[in-house]
Amino acid sequence: MTTEEPLIPSALALHKRAVGHLVTVFEDPRAAAGPRRARVLAALDRTSARRGRVIGVTGAPGAGKSTLLGELATRLIAAAPGRAVAVLAVDPSSPVSGGALLGDRTRVRFPPDERRLFFRSQASAGELGGLARATFQVCRLLTRLFDVVFVETVGVGQSEIEIVRVADRTYLIVPPLAGDHVQFMKAGIMEVPDGFIVSKADVGDAADATFHALRASLRLSRPGHEPALHRVSARTGDGLDALAAEIATAPIGGGVDARAPYFFEKWVAAEHGRRGLERLAAAGGAADFVDASGGFEGAQAAFG
Amino acid sequence: MSSRTPPAPHVLTGKDGEPTRDAPWIFRTYAGHSSPRASNALYRQNLDKGQTGLSIAFDLPTQCGYSSDDPIARPEVGKVGVPINSLDDFHVLFDGIPLDRMNTSMTINGTAMWLLALYVALARERGVPEAELKGTTQNDIVKEYLARGTYIFPPEHSLRLVAETYEYCVDKVPEWNPSNICSYHLQEAGATPVQEVAFALANAIGILDLLKARGRIDDERFARCVGRISFFVNAGIRFVEELCKMRAFADLWDEICEQRYDIGNPKYRLFRYGVQVNSLGLTESQPENNAWRILLEALGVTLSRRARCRALQLPTWNEAMSLPRPWDQQWSLRLQQILAFETDLLEYPDLFDGSPVVQSKAAEIANGARAEVERIVAMGGVRAAVDAGYMKSQLVRSMAERMARINRGDQVVVGVNKWTEGLPSPLVGGDDGGVFRVEARAIDEALAALAETRRRRDPARVAAALARLDAAARSGDNLMEPSIECALARVTTGEWAGALRKVFGEYRALTGIDGQTLDLPGERLTALRARIERFAAAHGHRPRMVVGKPGLDGHSNGAEVIAVAARHAGFDVVYSGIRLTPEEIVASAVEEDADLIGVSILSGSHLELTDQVMAALKAHEAEIPVVLGGIVPRADVPALEGKGVRRVFTPADFQLVDVIEKMMDVIDAPAA
Repeated sequence: MTTEEPLIPSALALHKRAVGHLVTVFEDPRAAAGPRRARVLAALDRTSARRGRVIGVTGAPGAGKSTLLGELATRLIAAAPGRAVAVLAVDPSSPVSGGALLGDRTRVRFPPDERRLFFRSQASAGELGGLARATFQVCRLLTRLFDVVFVETVGVGQSEIEIVRVADRTYLIVPPLAGDHVQFMKAGIMEVPDGFIVSKADVGDAADATFHALRASLRLSRPGHEPALHRVSARTGDGLDALAAEIATAPIGGGVDARAPYFFEKWVAAEHGRRGLERLAAAGGAADFVDASGGFEGAQAAFG
Repeated sequence: MSSRTPPAPHVLTGKDGEPTRDAPWIFRTYAGHSSPRASNALYRQNLDKGQTGLSIAFDLPTQCGYSSDDPIARPEVGKVGVPINSLDDFHVLFDGIPLDRMNTSMTINGTAMWLLALYVALARERGVPEAELKGTTQNDIVKEYLARGTYIFPPEHSLRLVAETYEYCVDKVPEWNPSNICSYHLQEAGATPVQEVAFALANAIGILDLLKARGRIDDERFARCVGRISFFVNAGIRFVEELCKMRAFADLWDEICEQRYDIGNPKYRLFRYGVQVNSLGLTESQPENNAWRILLEALGVTLSRRARCRALQLPTWNEAMSLPRPWDQQWSLRLQQILAFETDLLEYPDLFDGSPVVQSKAAEIANGARAEVERIVAMGGVRAAVDAGYMKSQLVRSMAERMARINRGDQVVVGVNKWTEGLPSPLVGGDDGGVFRVEARAIDEALAALAETRRRRDPARVAAALARLDAAARSGDNLMEPSIECALARVTTGEWAGALRKVFGEYRALTGIDGQTLDLPGERLTALRARIERFAAAHGHRPRMVVGKPGLDGHSNGAEVIAVAARHAGFDVVYSGIRLTPEEIVASAVEEDADLIGVSILSGSHLELTDQVMAALKAHEAEIPVVLGGIVPRADVPALEGKGVRRVFTPADFQLVDVIEKMMDVIDAPAA
């Protein structure tokens, strides 16, 4: 049952086929996939100590997320020969058919033979919060292979800002004419992101107006520790190098693995409901339980 | 002055009051293939047969601004039209054709300014005054973003090129129609008559508003620009409605010119249009029936004198199967000649003035279209509506509804969903199977001519011309004269577009596929969804499919409909978009760990592109099954299957549930 293990050396060499196959294993919702994931992670950790940072990028449809990520990824690998970058683009699934139409790829054009760039689409599979069930799992894999892992989600309000749970740093992309500062305040998402990016700066006045409205709102809502605020154009390249440099040096909190308790608790809630959560609390809470079980898969197995 | 009794209402009289007969419209055939030499021979042959104007089809590299030797261009050279790399090619293409007496229509958009510059340069080298040139560049960039896909630059820069051709032509080539607003492709993309009228008129308003806002021409010139706007319209099988649509078009255009632009001279408010009748409704099964469809569609745009087309080009009976052969084109031309010269159609005044039915129907279309135009103008105009994806999503919805009606059998298509049993057609029985094949040597000829041009030209003049083009692009000066100098210097098509790409950037399209649904038959859909759920349970993921269009062909409707249908059935569909190399599509599918690759190819390059797809899969050591959809002659299916394509879908496979089921069969079946 070790069909994945022969793929490990290829995956570490960033062969697209091997990485692509492994991502599928990490997206697999079936219980049997847990041990397979654990074996892959163990094998990777024996060979490599790579731990990339997860950068969340969220914003309304049409804000320019994918186009911007394409440009940023290209700049990031050009700036450092050993650096590799992955993009995980999460889109909603249809509540009717369960299927999804994932179109972010149309905005990104990577050279097909460049192994240091990897793009994967992911369907949110009905999960609320704009973050797919499997996003955390796939980030565990990708941060062991890539230095920067972008997670792109459609975010339009508070409930979609769940991305901060998996990302080391989260940016909200605001297109020009997104609204005046009252609307920014009302949207209630000003408090969450670590940084803000006004996109499509090449349109001129509208982008300037949005930038200034956003800055004013941030001074009001987060006085004293205003988050980073960028103004960029994917078309002209303005502002991209500074943003790429900030991303390349963003601190990695505890890394993706430190997020395991939160996602384990979500898993318990989904699989075992309120009873499960009560049982988890009685056992000392998610953090202790995951720790005592030797990690996420161990905790899943132990919880039953 | 004699006091004669006025002629009877059915008598058509000329300016002298004597009974007369109308001159016929211009007869054209959309043509061009292989090489400038072969196309020139075809044009001369067609003109000898009584064709009265030229309609030039360019190959996709020329339309998208690539020279024939560009890697992305090579599978497409000479396929859907003639390759034009430099002015040398134009000399061959128009050899023996008098420019001052010819009316030439060029179906060209993203590179329209370049082809117009080549035509003007050709006239200069031949000593023909450019003011005597007559014809049309399609140059309607908005519909490229909406339906046809041969755009190059972002909209603001593309629209600048369109505006500058007007600003140049109004003084220098006053009888040229700088652009031809197309509703043709909107109908192909699924537009209803109201949408077709509204989107085309909104598009024309967009150009005229832009010319006004740029302020580079005075009011007198502006009025002449209004008079030069022409339209290119589609005529479908519902020919009474089409006739009414044309009258609505004319009425509404007159109203807009007068009210919005204050154009006093009625001559400048005339709705002047050419027609290519609909290819969308032509069927691959029982293809001989298409001859009758074409005839009926031609009636819709010729019967009403007041809304009769200025130029007509008819498709051929076999267009759903392949590009037409010369004989097929001759057969369509003969239809026009019989209609114009054998029948009495041109002897009467308008047949429908005063008809309450026609008036009411035309008014209904005009009212719906007026409301839609106002909606688009209120959104900020056609440019904003394109940016927001509004028009595209409306079109994809209409297309989905049309497919749904055919699927349900509500819309009868004879030989397709009704009376499907028929005798074998002798028309497809010849040695060539009734389809046209491009000469394989076309590419060699194009490449040799291109190499010869590069060898003989003056590099210093080329560099200077490109530098001047670059400077004008940056400064905002009119690009026509620098482009003409590029043409004279033997700059190539790829170099001209490349220089502007550097300044303007390239455009990536919105898809319009989000949030669309299809009405598929209930029971079978339920069964199909159950099957897909079983697959997901067994494999730990839904069937994943990467859909993309390799090559330069931008007709994205088919790929979009399949993507929407597959999602509707429960697939996770990764839509990778259009104008991709086969290597890019395969790399996407490998990264996505796809269960299936679906490629859509309508350009006739399916054999070459399939080879590239298979080679790329091999390079990745990936074994992902491939299905292919598009306009593929039946005779090519075995060859494609031999190359490893698991299933070929053609226009005959219109039942979307069948298509999705067959795709599931491919995914479920172990590789051969």
